[in-house]
Amino acid sequence: MSDLHTDTTQAVHPDAAKLEGMEHAKQYEFKLAEDYFFKSDRGLTKRVVEQISYMKNEPEWMLKFRLRAFEIAEKKGRPKWGPDLSDLNFDDIFFYVRPNEKQGTAGSWDDIPEDVRKTYQRLGVPAAEQRALAGVGAQYESEMVYHKLKAEWEKLGVIFLDTDTGLKEHPELFKEHFATVIPPEDNYFAAVNSAVWSGGSFVYVPEGVHVEVPLQAYFLLNAENIGQFERTLIIGAPGSKFHYIEGCTAPAYTSNSFHSGVIEIVCQENSHVRYSTIQNWSHNVYNLVTQRAMVHEHASMGWLDGNLGSKVTMKYPSTYLVGEGAHGEVLSIAFATDGQHQDAGAKVIHVAPNTTSSVVSKSISKGTGRSSYRGLVQVHEGATNARSNVECDALLLDENARTDTFPYIEINEKTAHVGHEATVSKLDDEQIFYLMTRGLAEDAAMALIVRGFLDPVAKELPLEYAVELNRLIELEMEGSVG
Amino acid sequence: MAALTDNPAVSADAVESIVSAYREPAWLADERRAALRAYSDQPFPTEKTEEWRYTQLKRFSFSGLELAKAPKDESVPERIRMRIADSDAEGVIVHKGNKVVMHQATIKEAGVVFTDLRTALRDHEALVRAHLYDVVNARQTKYTALNSALWENGTFVYVPRDVEVELPLGAFTTADSGGIGLGRTLIVVEVNARLTFIDEYTSEPFAERLFFDAATEIVLKDGAKLRYVSLQNWSRNVAHINKLRAHLGRDARLESVTVSLGADAARAEVESRLEGPGSESEMLGLYFADEGQHFNQFTLQHHATPRGFSDVLFKGAVRDASQAVYSGMIIVDPHAQKTDAYQTNRNLLLDEVAEVVSIPQLEIAANDVKCSHGSTTGPVPEDQRFYLMSRGLRPEVAEHVLVTGFLYEVMSRVTLPKVAEYVERVVQAKLGVPGVKEKL
Repeated sequence: MSDLHTDTTQAVHPDAAKLEGMEHAKQYEFKLAEDYFFKSDRGLTKRVVEQISYMKNEPEWMLKFRLRAFEIAEKKGRPKWGPDLSDLNFDDIFFYVRPNEKQGTAGSWDDIPEDVRKTYQRLGVPAAEQRALAGVGAQYESEMVYHKLKAEWEKLGVIFLDTDTGLKEHPELFKEHFATVIPPEDNYFAAVNSAVWSGGSFVYVPEGVHVEVPLQAYFLLNAENIGQFERTLIIGAPGSKFHYIEGCTAPAYTSNSFHSGVIEIVCQENSHVRYSTIQNWSHNVYNLVTQRAMVHEHASMGWLDGNLGSKVTMKYPSTYLVGEGAHGEVLSIAFATDGQHQDAGAKVIHVAPNTTSSVVSKSISKGTGRSSYRGLVQVHEGATNARSNVECDALLLDENARTDTFPYIEINEKTAHVGHEATVSKLDDEQIFYLMTRGLAEDAAMALIVRGFLDPVAKELPLEYAVELNRLIELEMEGSVG
Repeated sequence: MAALTDNPAVSADAVESIVSAYREPAWLADERRAALRAYSDQPFPTEKTEEWRYTQLKRFSFSGLELAKAPKDESVPERIRMRIADSDAEGVIVHKGNKVVMHQATIKEAGVVFTDLRTALRDHEALVRAHLYDVVNARQTKYTALNSALWENGTFVYVPRDVEVELPLGAFTTADSGGIGLGRTLIVVEVNARLTFIDEYTSEPFAERLFFDAATEIVLKDGAKLRYVSLQNWSRNVAHINKLRAHLGRDARLESVTVSLGADAARAEVESRLEGPGSESEMLGLYFADEGQHFNQFTLQHHATPRGFSDVLFKGAVRDASQAVYSGMIIVDPHAQKTDAYQTNRNLLLDEVAEVVSIPQLEIAANDVKCSHGSTTGPVPEDQRFYLMSRGLRPEVAEHVLVTGFLYEVMSRVTLPKVAEYVERVVQAKLGVPGVKEKL
């Protein structure tokens, strides 16, 4: 176990409270430890990129890759569409902090804000896990469970490591696939991530192997894996089948104000890959993530994307159906409360014949929260008999809540069948009334209806996640009745 | 790449020569000068401009063209004569180039003004001044600015309070020479008044290229009702761009249909702003792009008031290497509670090389609303074709029946049988249905 953790490269950035203009950091009044091992310069510069690569003792090609990505980021500039990012100032951000060898120096349990601690308790997260989630714990007690699983996976030839270790231990496999799905040219934040990435998961499931127990990044959880610029690379060899789960429903507390991950997935022929993630960052975080899967012949890719936390999220899991008969599926839930903007969605690109896709998005806006669905369905010429269906439902709980739907549909193929539907509605007074006549308190009635609204997505979650999600919704709905 | 570049013909001199040629009042001259400034201040759209992202901008270029002047021939084209003979309109105006080549009206109802904008400025200046540029003006786009600065003539309709005009009024806009053509329609329907109006754009093919920029302003006062048809069937040497916008007062109702069949490239921006509680806007659209045509349509349902209802249905077919783009937006303002807003776009792909883009969008800032949108794109359903063929229809006939039926849903909601029949004939002519020529 310890070998996974001694090679620590990055922790949650412990200095955010000092940064100017970060309201939340101030609000949380984080006490800081100043004894990190290495800290880069502020801002994103070529020097910082070189420092990171040097500190990680990386091969030459990775340094060159990072520098190329840095140049691309410089040239590209930030996107001009989507949510307001004007408060996000790179010059205030440390792009790389390597903490002391000793884990859990980011703060102590007592420093974690009361509301976050309370939420953990209410959700029934075990004490040790609470600490790990808050970024202040050492590895938590599921270590034994993890070891047992790890031994089993190793027998099957499954590789499940953090990305830095993956690069060291499997350089060829890594190089073969790294940045092939999301090149740095793709978008500005992918370029930034490519320049400064650190941590994330590296997963390889060999040909024909079915992994019954979900691979959970939970088990790898340490500061590194909830890092700012995680880079995850997942490869499903032909005929493999597995479910990878990232994050969890409990709030992940971080003093980082900026999180920008890149997740690349390769689904080779006939593989079945699922990637589930639920982010619940504290409400001071800009969460700008690029997720994409390349799906080959008769393979299928399923995304489950839950967005509950953060200040602003921009995340559109995308699926490139490049092999005949490939299938892609996206289930997306977003919950935006006061001050949050969840700009989530999905992209599906049909390139090959007989490819199919389905997107179901459910969003809830509460208080002054705003949820947006932003999506793209493309059917290229030659992708004969492609079928795609998109459904977006939005629920508005308050007068000041907002919702948007921005689906782009581009079709260049006569035999394509493409549909899109969206509805927007508020909580139905009659339903609430009915439940209240049955003895439910008003907020319990509302929570029940909201849970019912999310049910089609929640039932796809592993049980423990679904339970947590339901509890979380109850929690969010408490006090909604003025 | 800048697809569009500036045109020296759009100049202060051009504005002043219109102002002096028609001895325009000072207020209008000032409006034109301000519009020209707004035009100069706005950049040309590029592929990077979101609203124009899927527009083939080069096809809407007017660089190198002169402002369209008098027609070569002031006769009314035969195709328009036949259309008039076949219609039950109470009044018709025909614009050709910058000339009014026909104006006939037998309006029974009292106080209705139906004339060209020049005459209206002379006889009803206060009425024109009170409404011109209220709804479509230079602040909106480069093209509305161009129109606002340099329009020469157009159509003006005014229906006084409580007056119901029983039979339709209509304007035909045609041309026989190229350049930059500018058309403007101003419709004002007073409190509890009622009107049906048809704007039709049509021409026989001619050699030069015509870029036509139309502005349609619709003012519906409280309780006013308007049925409005915009029927675009230009010859293929024309590029057509039209901003068609209505402001609706309390309990006002708009029923509009935008039909795009002709021209080489056409962009229609169809917009309703619901300003009075209880107002209703129904905007229908029908298009059939073939032989490389590029149709670009944008709809906006802007709910700025509570208890509004709006519905959009745009249906179209695309054949050959043609392209149809539909982009729609529903905006519900924060206090526009009890809004009902719907938006549907359906596309039929008739060819391997045909292309469809559909972007139905919602921006909702009130919670007590019912909003939905739907978009579908696909080929003619195989099972339906099979059924018709099992009944003995040849494959191409089955396709004609199915395409016509698909588009018929839109025309069936237009309670103007003469218009519906004409549209059906043009569609069938496009489909190549034997024996149906585009009877004119």
